[in-house]
Order: sequence, then C-alpha cells, then structure tokens
Amino acid sequence: MAGGYKQQPGSRSSETRKDGKRVAGKQSFAPPGSGGSRPKMAERDLDFIPEMVGGKEHQPAGAHIHDRARTGTTVGKRIPLVDANAKVTGQAWYGDDVRLQNEIIGRIVRSPHHYAKVVSVDTSKAENLPGVLAVATGDDAPNKFGVLPVTKDEHAMAVEKVRHVGDLVACVAAIDEATAREAAALIEVEYEVLDSIHDMKKGLEDVDEPIHWRGKYHVGTTNVQKRVFQEFGDRSMVENPSAMYHGKWKFQGVNHGFTEPHAVVAHWDSNGRLQLYTPQQVPHYAHRALATVLEVPMHQINVIRTFVGGGFGGKSDPFPHEMCAAILARKAGRPVRINFDREEVFWVNRGRHPSHIEVQLYADEDARISGFDIDALIDGGGFASFGHVTSYYNGVLATAPYELGSFHYTGARVWTNKPASGAMRGHGAVNTRCAVEVGLDDMAEQLQVDPIDLRLANLLPPHSRTISGFRITSNGMRQALQKVREGSDWDNKFRKLPLGKGIGIGCGFFISGSGLPIHWDPNKFPHATVHMQIDMDGGVTVHTGAADIGQGSTTAVAQVVAEVLALPIEMIHVRSHESDTSPVDLGSYSSRVTFMNANAAIRAALEIKEKLLNAAWDVLGYHPDTLVLNDRRIYYKHDPAIGMSYLEALHKAQEDKGALISSGAYRSPPMGGVHKGAAAGLAPAYSFSAYVAEVDVDVETGLIKCTDVWAAHDCGKALNPLAVEGQIIGSCHMGLGQVLTEQMVYGRSGHLQNPNLLDYKIPSVHEMPNVTPIIIESCDPEGPFGAKEAGEGPLLPILPAVVNAVYDAIGIRVNDLPLTPDKIWAAITKKMKIERIEDATNLPVPRLDFSELQEKLAKRAAEHNIRDKKRQTTEDTSAYVNGVLFGFDPNIPLEEQVEGWAHADKPSAEQLAELGLAGKAWLKEEQRNMGGEN
Amino acid sequence: MIPVAPSVVWKSNINGQQKESLIPSNAILLDVLRDKAGCLGVKRGCDMGTCGCCTVMIDGVPRLSCLTMAQDGAGKEIITVEGLSDGAHLAPIQQCFGEHGGSQCGFCTPGFLVASQALLNENSNPSEQEIACAIEGNLCRCTGYQQIIDSIKAAAEIHRGEKESTPPVSDAHPDPHPTGPDEPTMPPGHAR
Repeated sequence: MAGGYKQQPGSRSSETRKDGKRVAGKQSFAPPGSGGSRPKMAERDLDFIPEMVGGKEHQPAGAHIHDRARTGTTVGKRIPLVDANAKVTGQAWYGDDVRLQNEIIGRIVRSPHHYAKVVSVDTSKAENLPGVLAVATGDDAPNKFGVLPVTKDEHAMAVEKVRHVGDLVACVAAIDEATAREAAALIEVEYEVLDSIHDMKKGLEDVDEPIHWRGKYHVGTTNVQKRVFQEFGDRSMVENPSAMYHGKWKFQGVNHGFTEPHAVVAHWDSNGRLQLYTPQQVPHYAHRALATVLEVPMHQINVIRTFVGGGFGGKSDPFPHEMCAAILARKAGRPVRINFDREEVFWVNRGRHPSHIEVQLYADEDARISGFDIDALIDGGGFASFGHVTSYYNGVLATAPYELGSFHYTGARVWTNKPASGAMRGHGAVNTRCAVEVGLDDMAEQLQVDPIDLRLANLLPPHSRTISGFRITSNGMRQALQKVREGSDWDNKFRKLPLGKGIGIGCGFFISGSGLPIHWDPNKFPHATVHMQIDMDGGVTVHTGAADIGQGSTTAVAQVVAEVLALPIEMIHVRSHESDTSPVDLGSYSSRVTFMNANAAIRAALEIKEKLLNAAWDVLGYHPDTLVLNDRRIYYKHDPAIGMSYLEALHKAQEDKGALISSGAYRSPPMGGVHKGAAAGLAPAYSFSAYVAEVDVDVETGLIKCTDVWAAHDCGKALNPLAVEGQIIGSCHMGLGQVLTEQMVYGRSGHLQNPNLLDYKIPSVHEMPNVTPIIIESCDPEGPFGAKEAGEGPLLPILPAVVNAVYDAIGIRVNDLPLTPDKIWAAITKKMKIERIEDATNLPVPRLDFSELQEKLAKRAAEHNIRDKKRQTTEDTSAYVNGVLFGFDPNIPLEEQVEGWAHADKPSAEQLAELGLAGKAWLKEEQRNMGGEN
Repeated sequence: MIPVAPSVVWKSNINGQQKESLIPSNAILLDVLRDKAGCLGVKRGCDMGTCGCCTVMIDGVPRLSCLTMAQDGAGKEIITVEGLSDGAHLAPIQQCFGEHGGSQCGFCTPGFLVASQALLNENSNPSEQEIACAIEGNLCRCTGYQQIIDSIKAAAEIHRGEKESTPPVSDAHPDPHPTGPDEPTMPPGHAR
C-alpha cells in the first residue's frame, strides 16, 4: 500500500517540542511480511464457489453448512501434496533417516519357536562382547500394553512365553550393526516348547495352555479372544426364499506391504525426557503405551512422527520395538536406532485376518433381501491388536447399503501361534463384503435378473437407518452404480462376452471415522483438535496431531484453512510431527482424518476469520456479513474497491493481544443403539462405492488378468480430486493384490514361508488394470465442505467385482482367495470332468435370459431413484428406517410392529444347536459363569 | 567374533561431487551411500532387490544399490535422487510427480524417479509399455502406478520440449498485502 505504515500517532514530520527537544515524527516503513510477488488480488474463482452462495459450482445434492465459508481458493481443486517437494527431492525423513549424534544400533532377538515358555535368558556373553552397550530382556519391562484398553496383552519383550516365531525375546544395542547382530546371536535362551496352534478352527477347542489368559472373561479354556453374536429383524422372513446363496469362503492373511520397514530412534535428552522418532499412524497410542511400559509420565515423552512410508493400518499399533529402543537408550545413555529388515515386518504383521467366512443370503418373491446370515471365524495370531473391533466389523459393516429383512451374525476371533493380525485398509469389512457381494451376484443369477438392478432395487436411501441402527446421512450408492454401469457399457457386456472374458460388479460400504474414541468418553474430550496461530508476518501455523501417512492429511488440513481464510496454500504451514506441539489427535485410522481433522481445522479457521472480519468492520465500517474474503483481501461485497488487505486486517486484529490464536475441535454427534456392540461400526458418515471389473481368464492355464476397472466412490465432496483419485486407484491395486496374488503362506509346520517381497506377490505395474476413477459427490451434511472418507472404502468392491467377473468369464466360482492359477485351473478341470468336456475352450459360459422379475426390479429401482433424489436434497425429510421396503411404518419402533423383530446379543438355546463355525465359540461358558478363576 | 573386513579407500563421483571415504571392503553400495555419503534419499525397503526403493544411476544405468557391492561402484558416476534437481530447481520428472500424484507416502519415490529419469535420458518419447518396463522393478503400494505413469508421460512432454515446465500452482512467495481492483491510494484506517 502506498504510504505504508505509520510508526505512531503524531505529526507527519519531525518537530521541535516546546522545550526545544526534537522528537521523531511518524516514519513510513514497509508493512512487515510484504514484498512477496503477486501484489494484486486475483479474481474470485466462481467455478469453485457453490451456486447456493452465488458461485457457479453445481450442487446436485443441495446446500451445505460450510458453503458460506467457501472462498474458491483450494477446495475441489487438484492440489499437489504440500509435502510433495520434500518427497521428490529425497528430503523427506522416514524412520530410518533419523541420524542423531552418537547413535548406536539396536537389534532384536526373536523366538525361533511357535509357542514356548521362556525358562531362562542368559545375556552374559552378549554383555561381555566389546562394543555392546546395553542388553534388555522381558524383565526390564513387565507392564502390559495394547492398542485397545480392553485387550492389553503385549509386552515389550517376552515375559514368561513367546507366542509366535519372531516374537520378541530380548534386545541389544551396540556401536554398529555388525556388533549388534553378533551380540544378538550370543544371547542364550532356554525354551520349553509348548503345543502350538495354527489352524484357527482348533482355536475354538479347550486346550491345556491357552495362548493368553483373560481371567474371569476367558471363554472356557479355549483360545477364543472375542466372540460376537448379533441378530436383528424378523427371522421368519427367510422362510421360503425365492433365491438363496450359501457360500463357504476362505481368505488368507494379507500383509500391508508398505515399502518402508518399521524403524525407530529413541533418545533420552539432556533433561531426561524421551524423544522417540517413529513412523506411526497413531502417535498418541504409542505415546500412552510408552508411558505405561517405561513408567514415565506422558509429559516426559515427546513422540515425533517421522514421515511415514506407507501405513495402511500396519503402523497403528504401539509396537514392542518402540519400547525396546527406549529401554536400550535409557540403559546405554545414547540414542538407539532400530530398523527392521523386511522379514521382521512380516513377523510384526498386523495384516488382514486369515478368515473362514460362511454366508447365507436370502431373497423373497419380490427379490427383496430378506436375510443375511454371516458367520466369520477370524485368525488373530498371537495378540489381540485391534481384533476386538475386527470381530464386530466382519459382521456389522455388511448391514448396508442394502435394506435387509433380517440380519444374523456370529463372529469369533481366536488366538493362534502366528504373527498377530490387526487393522488393515478396509478393516474387517473386506472379506465379508466380498462373500456377500458374490452372494448377491449368485442370487441375481438364480432369479435371472441383472445384478445391478437387483442392487438398485434394494438400496437404503439417504438419511436413513440400517437394521443395526447406524445412521446413514449422505448416500451416493445409487449414483455410483449408475455411473459404473454407464462407464463400463455394462448392459452390452454382462453375460454377453465370449469365454475367457468377463465383467463383474461389486459394491462397498465403509465408515468415515469411528464414532467413539477408543481411549476416552467422547463427551469429555473431542475426537480431534486443531490449533492455529498467525503472527504479524501473516503466515498461518496450524498445529494438528493428524498423522500424514501419504494419504495427504496435512494437505487436506492446509487446504481447508486456506479455503476459509482465502489465502494461498503456501501461506499455511502445518506442524504435525511432534506430540509436544500438536494437540492430541487419535491418528490415522478408521478413515477419520479428513472428516474429523478438517472439521476441527474449519472451526479454528472460522474463529480467526471472525476476528479478521471484526477488525475489518472497525476499519471499513461495514458489517462482517457484507464483507467478502478473497485472495488475501477483505472487501465490501458491493464494491471491491472498499477494502483492506489481509495483512492490514490482521494487524488491526492484533492490536490488543498480539498473535491471533484459535482452537477448533470436532466431536461426533451422539449416535447408536443400546444393544451390546452398538458402538462398533458407528460413524458420523459412511462412504459408498461401486466397481465394475473386466477380466481375461486364460482357460488353459487359469491365469487371471484384470484389464479394466471402473471405480465409482462416493466421498461426499472431493476436497482434492487428485488425491481422491490416487486413493481410489491405490485401493484398487491393494485389493487386486488380495484377490489375485497376495497371501501369507504358512507351511505344514506353521512356519511363514514367504516373509519377503519376492515371494509375497504385490502386483507390479504390469498387473495393474486401467482404472477409471469416478468421483461421486453426495455432499455429507456433517463432513468438512461435505467430504467423507476416500482411503479405505474404495478397496472393498474390487474383490467381489473380480470374483464375479471371473464367473462371467468361465462360469466358475472359487471361494478361496487369492484366485491363483492353480486354484482356477483345478476348478476348471473339475468342471470339465463333471460335464464331460474334453477341451477347456469348450467350457460353457453363463448367459442371462431375463425373468419377469427383471421388469419389476427396474420399475422399483426407478421409483427409488426419485425417492432418493428427494431425500438427498432434503426435499423429503420423513423418517426412513430399514424395514420400510418390507412395508413397515418408520415412525413406530419395529419391535412394536412386528412380532419377532428381534435384537439379540446372545444365541438362544435352540440357536446354539445349529450355529456355524464361529458360532461354536458360544458353546463354551466364560470362566466367571463356570465358577472358575475370578 | 566375526572378523572385520579390511577397510579400503572408496572414491566415486556422487551427484557430480567427488567423494572419498574409508569403507569395509565388503560394504554394500546402499549402506555406503546412506551412511558414508549422506544420501539418505536412497531408501532401504527390502535388502534383496525386490522393491526398487534403492535404485540409483551408475554411469547412467539404473541399478539396485542394495545388490551392488560398493567396490563395483568405485570410480563411477553415481546419481541418486538428490542429484536429479538442478540446484533449487526441480527436474521436470520431480515436478511432475508432485503435480500428477505420482508420490503419496513418498518412500518408493526416489527409486521411481531415478528409474524414470534414466528412461527419459535414453528415450524422451516412451510408449506406455516402455514406461511400464522401465519401472517394473519398482514396487509402489500407494498409487497403483497409474498416476506415476501419468507423471512420467508429463515429464516426457517437457523433455521433448512440447510443454513448458509448469510453474507451481500459485506463486511460492505470495504477498500477504495485495492491492484490490481499482483501489484508490488511501491511508489505512480510512474507508471510502
């Protein structure tokens, strides 16, 4: 601004006072912080301002509460990740890139046995080796920890028992890696080997020595870690079904396969505080666990999250090696760095659970889905990890997007002597979803209708409730299905392609943030908090604990702040690495970060905006409601010439208190029912997705190649389409790995046979299909600018889409993932034998001849299409609960309308007699009911 | 105790600078680059040549540094990810990886950058198949490769001179104190 700033009130030039002394008058000086380029305000970008507030951005799903905060700056634009430059220049520092002065190297001693008692550990030889500075064993850290407060069952190193090959027994720290390895080999451990369990079915049986002991809650003397029983709806509906699918599925364990192996650096600083550098998705839980194990108050620990080289759920537990590094560093008095080799990554695992899943689906005479029966037995490996939650997710996340007549779920998670399973992208929902979606495809085949129409005629509408009581708000499932149908030219391909070529559909449903924080009462602390600070230079510093694991949470936070304050994104600096400076955040899991953190950031930014506008009101004399923020300026909306720069407003606002500071928080609304396990699967919003996959199957070798995928995902509002597309394509890649090639192979003796990336087959660039990402924007009422998650949900539909496409190609369903050529070929030869076909190229392929039902379904789908549009834009605000499709009144509790509309959390005596595999976990009593140990 | 390998003097040209250090004779190039030469941008992902994160250019050819003995790299020209950019200016390939989403978590990125830069040095008009073959030794778990291929194609266009290297989305140093349209010069505090 011409004229510049004035130092102090007074006359324009220096003057002589009455006493003859000269005093300095006002002196002009350049406003601090100015002098950058782009001295002119850019015009408002109306294409990115919603039409409801005068812009040109189309809003088919209606207005949003944050519309008035939109300035057209960043939201909806393809913004590169704000840390991209660090990553492409090699400056991003991951766990193993932290180099501290005087560091020494730690190495872990691991169990060679599946299951054994640790009789003694002799460390004397290792301690006497020159160059060894510290040795630690289980005795050094007897306190238990675990990611969930209800299942703390891990130790830093084995206390009493080792529970799988690779379990930690001791650790050493030495001046270099060679010495550390040597010392680790010198530690002598005496084991008493116990009978190990590798088959998850055996985990249901009583044994002498269960892998863990849960006291009065222990189920018999089995290895059942968690059992779930849920029943909703009217069971009589499944009688006399017009179609029924019964499938027994097998899913192998899958590892996250992130490219960065775990690494950690621990350093007790000169004040005796622990500085722990670790690539963590959930630094806060690690923080808590460290305090427990090390017996140091949390405020004496600073957890520094390095860049994270991929997480996918695999870096969200507090890990024993983090404790080991801290213990070694405390003993040695020097910083200790531990980095894993790839094999150790597989020993730590926490990947997707190997599972046996049995589903029974029923459809009635109108092709309504009258029942889902799901039975999921999942293999937890040696520790609980997130398993408590996984046990629920395997069932409850199948209760949408379809309207169900009844829902029945039995689940059990057992301990076995394998590396622990845990949370992995699409946590708990992926395997069941695959089984269910394939079941729907099969029922459509039986009914001779189009599987997309079957789905379209059975969807829950927006603003409804699922059978288990989840609150669905925005719902773009229908548009997603319509878009992929259109994009893939479905109607001209399905059941019409030649042998060996096939097309299939799959849908997905996932939570966008878990409704309840694990560690505290949601009424007492918020889920996410964001702090902001702006000092006189005008740069905005945002403090958040959100862990960027590559998904771009830092960018999302920077974007929403930039959007609200109408500042270029370069002026936003996100600080999220240290627990010392970041407000507590639950971290990156459950697809919660964008939803919760960006919401908190918007609130913090709005507080700052209010201060700026009030300052502008003081100066300009126009009420804040009539002022517009745009590209570093605030002006009167009817005359842009009346205005002031952002910096001037900021300095005016700073007059009294200096730097502007604000804090914003997000907490989810109260939700959910009162039944046992009602909290599992609750989320403030849900994402929906539909994929169509096209495959080539070589009938002579059984090799499957996925060639094209049309992937539609409802992410509410794409804050950054570039990042959303990246998530969709990336999810496709990971899901494709699970369905075609990836598996953790355990040999006959229970050993993991492929703990490396050569034998564990992650799809390479040659295996990737052409993915056409399609973004559906349903504008979630509670999401930040309408956004929901896009990180996990897009993984779910690819599995069933490929399995269904394989059926379309060769008429064979294989219920055992991954679909490796040997399995497909075995199924082909079996079919050839049964049908007496000599040449595989003469295999019959399924064809579709529409039944009468098809027309009925198409008509119902068209009616529902209109219904959903009205509900989406809240033109229709009447209540809708699961059951309306079956003729019930949504305004009266279903229990009062229907006899037998049940909510059960325990099997009845007669159900006990006919339970499935996982259901057998209910045959045993808990210890407290057996008069056993209390 | 394992006998320590005798030390040898190791000389190489790393990113245009002559480096000399004392290394064990059996050292792996990856370790030397990370711990002696300070090139922490070269990543260790698997130690057995399966992930490609440690790819560096040796005399212009992309090599897996975790499978290369340091001595085999002695006296040669080694380029790591740190050597791709020209001073403060990003190379086109680096710029494009950022703009087209070729990098998410970023751990595999250095390997991909080096492998694709080596390709572009040889062939500035690669087909999709040639790109795929150039990066088939690199694993990426985040992006599903599609946006990486987009990035390489965009960088190839710049290499061919068909496109200008795009400036950043907005200016790197925006003035927090801009003037508005048709704004009269007026002292602060005096609205019209």
